[in-house]
Amino acid sequence: MRRTRAISFAAACALASLVAGRCWGEETEYLRDVKPIFIEKCSSCHGPLKQEASLRLDAASLIQKGGDSGPAAAPGEFEKTLLFERVATDDLATRMPPEGEGEKLTEEQFAHLKRWIAAGMPAPADERPLPDPADHWAFQPLDRNARGPGEGGSGAGGSPDVMIDAKLASAGIEPLPEADRATLVRRLYFDLIGLPPTVEETRAILADESPDAYERLVDRLLEDPRYGERWGRHWMDVWRYSDWDGYKDELRSSSRHLWHWRDWIVRSLNEDKPYDRMIAEMLAGDELAPEDPEALAATGFLARNYHHLNRDIWLDWTTEHSAKAFVGLTIACAKCHDHKFDPLSQTEYYAWRALFEPHRVRTDRLPGQIDVMQDGLPRAYDADPAVPTYLYIRGDEKHPDKERPIAPGVPAILGESLTVAPIELPPMAYFPALAEHVERDLVDAAEDQIAAARASVEECEKAAAIEEAAAGAPSIDDGAELADVATEREEASAAIKLAELSLAEAECALQSLRARYASDRAKHALPKTRSEEELKTLAREASAAERRHAAAVAERELFERRQALTKAQSSAEPDEKKRTEAVAKAKGEAEAATKKRDEALANVEKVDEAYAPVGESYSKTSAGRRLALARWIASPDNPLTARVAVNHVWMRHFGKPLVANPSDFGVRTPRPVQLDVLDSLAREFIDSGWSFKALHRRIVTSKAWRRASSAEPETLARNEAVDQENALLWRQSARRLEAEPIRDAMLYVAGKLDATTSGPDLDPSQGEKVYRRSLYFRHAREKQMKMLTLFDGASPDDCYRRAESVVPQQALAVANSELARTMSRTLARQLSGSAESPVADERFVDLAFETTLGRSPTEEERGASLAFLAKQRESLSHREKLTALGGAQAAATPASDDPALRARESLTHVLFSHNDFVTIR
Amino acid sequence: MPRNAQSPTDRALPRELAAMRARRNFLTQMGLGFGSVALSAMLQSESRAAASDRPGPHFAPKAKSVIWLFMIGGASHMETFDPKPALNEHAGKKIDESPYADILKSPYLANERVLFPDPNNGFVRHDIYPMQVGFQKHGQSALEISDWFPHLAKQADDLAIVRSMWTEDSNHGAQYQFHTGRHRIDGVFPTIGAWANYGLGSLNENLPQFVVMGTPVADCCGGRETHGADYLGPQYDGVPLTIDPKNPLPYAKPPADVFAEEQQAEFAFLRELNEMTAQRYPGDDVLRARIESYELAYRMQSAIPEVVDFSGETKETLTEYGVDQPQTQEFGRQMLAARRLVERGVRFVQVYHGSNGGAGQWDSHGGLKNSHANLCGQTDRPIAALLADLKRRGLLDETIVVWATEFGRTPGSQNGDGRDHHPYGFSVWLAGGGLKGGVAHGATDELGFHAVENRHYVSDVHATVLHQLGLDTRKLVIPGRKRLEKEFGQPIREIIA
Repeated sequence: MRRTRAISFAAACALASLVAGRCWGEETEYLRDVKPIFIEKCSSCHGPLKQEASLRLDAASLIQKGGDSGPAAAPGEFEKTLLFERVATDDLATRMPPEGEGEKLTEEQFAHLKRWIAAGMPAPADERPLPDPADHWAFQPLDRNARGPGEGGSGAGGSPDVMIDAKLASAGIEPLPEADRATLVRRLYFDLIGLPPTVEETRAILADESPDAYERLVDRLLEDPRYGERWGRHWMDVWRYSDWDGYKDELRSSSRHLWHWRDWIVRSLNEDKPYDRMIAEMLAGDELAPEDPEALAATGFLARNYHHLNRDIWLDWTTEHSAKAFVGLTIACAKCHDHKFDPLSQTEYYAWRALFEPHRVRTDRLPGQIDVMQDGLPRAYDADPAVPTYLYIRGDEKHPDKERPIAPGVPAILGESLTVAPIELPPMAYFPALAEHVERDLVDAAEDQIAAARASVEECEKAAAIEEAAAGAPSIDDGAELADVATEREEASAAIKLAELSLAEAECALQSLRARYASDRAKHALPKTRSEEELKTLAREASAAERRHAAAVAERELFERRQALTKAQSSAEPDEKKRTEAVAKAKGEAEAATKKRDEALANVEKVDEAYAPVGESYSKTSAGRRLALARWIASPDNPLTARVAVNHVWMRHFGKPLVANPSDFGVRTPRPVQLDVLDSLAREFIDSGWSFKALHRRIVTSKAWRRASSAEPETLARNEAVDQENALLWRQSARRLEAEPIRDAMLYVAGKLDATTSGPDLDPSQGEKVYRRSLYFRHAREKQMKMLTLFDGASPDDCYRRAESVVPQQALAVANSELARTMSRTLARQLSGSAESPVADERFVDLAFETTLGRSPTEEERGASLAFLAKQRESLSHREKLTALGGAQAAATPASDDPALRARESLTHVLFSHNDFVTIR
Repeated sequence: MPRNAQSPTDRALPRELAAMRARRNFLTQMGLGFGSVALSAMLQSESRAAASDRPGPHFAPKAKSVIWLFMIGGASHMETFDPKPALNEHAGKKIDESPYADILKSPYLANERVLFPDPNNGFVRHDIYPMQVGFQKHGQSALEISDWFPHLAKQADDLAIVRSMWTEDSNHGAQYQFHTGRHRIDGVFPTIGAWANYGLGSLNENLPQFVVMGTPVADCCGGRETHGADYLGPQYDGVPLTIDPKNPLPYAKPPADVFAEEQQAEFAFLRELNEMTAQRYPGDDVLRARIESYELAYRMQSAIPEVVDFSGETKETLTEYGVDQPQTQEFGRQMLAARRLVERGVRFVQVYHGSNGGAGQWDSHGGLKNSHANLCGQTDRPIAALLADLKRRGLLDETIVVWATEFGRTPGSQNGDGRDHHPYGFSVWLAGGGLKGGVAHGATDELGFHAVENRHYVSDVHATVLHQLGLDTRKLVIPGRKRLEKEFGQPIREIIA
């Protein structure tokens, strides 16, 4: 939730809600100065969650009533109260709050308590203790709040508008009318595909008078593959997408080639894969569909949390964010002690962690690539299905409580326990080298080796023949020359010999590979097709082939060592000592190679079944914990899953969520004003088969979404007087575009956006030169595109909600970046037509506004624009009078030499900087 | 409508909304349970458009600006500001053969935490290694400073040396830790410069408030997070500045073929268009903020190159800063720019020294004598010039200069002629800004191993600096973002004048 202020409000409201109500004088002092001390310092153990020593301290009456040891305090002298005794002591064994649970009270807090107790502990008569967390709105079943179809809830024809309008009516607010068509269309395009409509598209929809024109546009955009890119990036925020992170070439966290998961996200959204299925694939694709590469790619959700040195960080991240992303629980707060606000115990934190404890991450080979550094599929698998989870005392990994292993489970407050069943994996899953493509690629590589070795033999022979011919020609009287010829002959024949040995080795390698594959396949075949005796025979053949290969390797190595020895012996090294040493070393190596070769040859004679399998194999069973968790999360009965998802979607359509904190639906987050809307959308979402597209359609066809974001000042003032926050949704909100659509839109309107989808992450330093959509660029802690970070791009670690800052660096990025200049110049030229059919200034201005802002200029704007064009043209006609700004970087597209065109380039550039270019109204 | 006005139509509101409004009004009036920072942050428009809505200062400031010098790699305290004659006396002995064997049993050793262990570095070194340089007493305060800082030594009476620093990370993640007060293992957090930037209003609307110079910490050790704002938002990040009037910061200049008049006309026309839009959307605060941000951007664009343009400085000044000498040129230019920045009201100037794309040049596992002599030589004259220049201009009283490094180096030798990483005791110094001069506060043990007297974790330096700026670290909190005790730190009262 980096950079998000809304949480703060939620937290404060939760606290404030305890004390809402009118109050004066000393009572106010109690509510303002005293009660917060009890709430902050005491209530997690002496409140609704727990009543240690039968004591509650969340209301003045309860403080007086006290617990097992009598009243905590009574009016009078603070120093004489039990309360004082426990909070003032320096004896850490008895002090409250206990060490690790909270700091000692400050002097100021002591003073407040003293004054309050001396004043007779005044408190409002109707003061109520904290509510029971079990009654918290978000933990209640959906249908308790969702209204039936007749009232506009779920069901045919139902719309959130009925509920929204009812609230508006009772508040006496007249909502704003529907936004004008052009505004609406632009809003819709950005919301659904992250790019603006083209001028033609806008005109077409404005001209379409059929009653369902808008609905058809919605459907068309939801079917547009760019929808997946737009919403893929949103969900990448929530699911914490990060490309691999590390120093130089060393991987430190996340995983290489994680883009396969990014592509899965985009594809899944475009296919409208049901959200419950997406959850299951992300958390447990390897258990759900162990042989389906698509489902395995989804487990990038888990691979993203990989940490190369610290397993606890890795699992902490997984625990924290799986809970936040899917069910909006801040379970991470219960790592060191029971949750201070929510009914989540420390044990439950570790039970959640235990769901993930067995899993690890590996990279499987993909077709066509045997080097997993180049490409591969990062995926989760259970390495050790039975590994225990221990509670860390006070969250300290140095102090695991080994007496009491924690069983996997989910928080009791949400009812329903998990049903975990271990899963037997198919051979391909636990022995991935058995995949056809892996064998084919390995065989191909081995055959390539043979071909290369064979070519090398031929080349050596050809070279020798040429040399032989050359040597035969001249007189051979000269002794020295004779010697040379002899040496060359020797060298040539040595080269041939080495090439032949390499060829033999390569052939043996292929035979070994094939034999081992034959044996491994038979061994792992399900059902078994071979008898034990046949399996033994195959294993023996594999073993023999492998040994023959080893012998061939040893032969080749020995030959090389001997050559090296010969070379050392005949070396011209003048330093006698060095030469002797070199010879001795080479001799030693040759001897060792001889020994190794002899052993290898002896081994060939042996007969047994031992050989190296063709690839690594893993546990044959998976614990099934993650799949159980996924099913529990994605159950229609889980009160949180659909609500959390709907809230995320809603927030990205309205700029504001229905539930203030999208990653915390715990008791600190107050009941939302539009809970009925949330619940009815959530119910409908589930009933639609967890279809995001249906949810989007429902939202963007609602009256609430289609409202104007602005109106006459008097109207705004009237409505704001009642509902400044727009909690009742009487208007749409104007929002700034996120970083990615800002960059993408500049490229797109200039006709330069490269529509290529999917593929490996691109170098972020090339973001102004490579015109792909922003989501395809590498995005990790240290690897982000400058322009995106300036516009509040997602923190890869934690981004449930984007910020919308306004800073001058953003202005500079648009004003001065090569990207903005190049695109504005390109656009101006496109809009200016050709020499044969030139476009007049008036028309150019209209087109430029329509293209960049999605609307025609007003009369005033048109006039100002024409004046600007004239002025710039005039000024640029006298370049000799102009001052260079002295920028260092050359533009990819130089400014036009024609002052008139250059003035137009200037205008399109200004429009890129226009507030409304980056704003959805 | 004023935020805390009670509306007569409250009754008509749905229950939840009425409750929410009541809570908000109540909060506004009471500041319940949260600091004013939290409250203003809470009530701030989500656009965060209101840059003037700063939480601080919390009390009368003693200083306005900070120049934060950071030596990357770990400068040896025993060869800079913390002389240890016992090292020479027992040189060659093992620590456990010396009278100080007990230091190896100290509970302080348990403070070490490593995220990325290095098999070769980050260990206790047992062979006591003598000091590689002499120390003299300087100034009226007779402060001991190593002979590698002959120029700085002349400013001894302005320095408050803290000889009892400690940190946790025994690898270079300590660079990140020094700036956030948090171990890298804990995650990403705002840095000291970002907090200062966040906490205080701007003194110069034309310049960024938190400027970074020198090649930053490498990716190994925190990277840009070492001057980042993390959850405070990118507007509080340090802005990297290069001493090059042609290209001082990212996007400070348009491509080469753009004319000044051309761009000026563009900004003017942009304003005109945005104002027209603003008339149509009178309630749009964000639009107003964006208009202002463009104005500021335009001013920044000319103000920033001006800061790094030294053509107005005298030859004497350039010489004093060492700009004319190859060894001191780079750092000298940065120190001069630092002075020009604080002179123009920039709040926090963070200057990195000694980047080598990895752990840092100060990381002298071997050849310490040569490397430290050279690195001190690169910085000595420029830092001394900065202090003298600030003083002459009356700026030292309102500017805190901090010299820091991520950890010290081992009293024992490594590789025969180097020292290893040492998180248990090391030195930093502060000067100006209402701090005492000519004092050495705190102490390590005889071997310079553990900070033993008035121990200070790194965030105490933050708290001290922020305190002088008028900020209470404890009030710098964002609701929902828990800060730890250790992160807040305590001002070092003994060095505050």
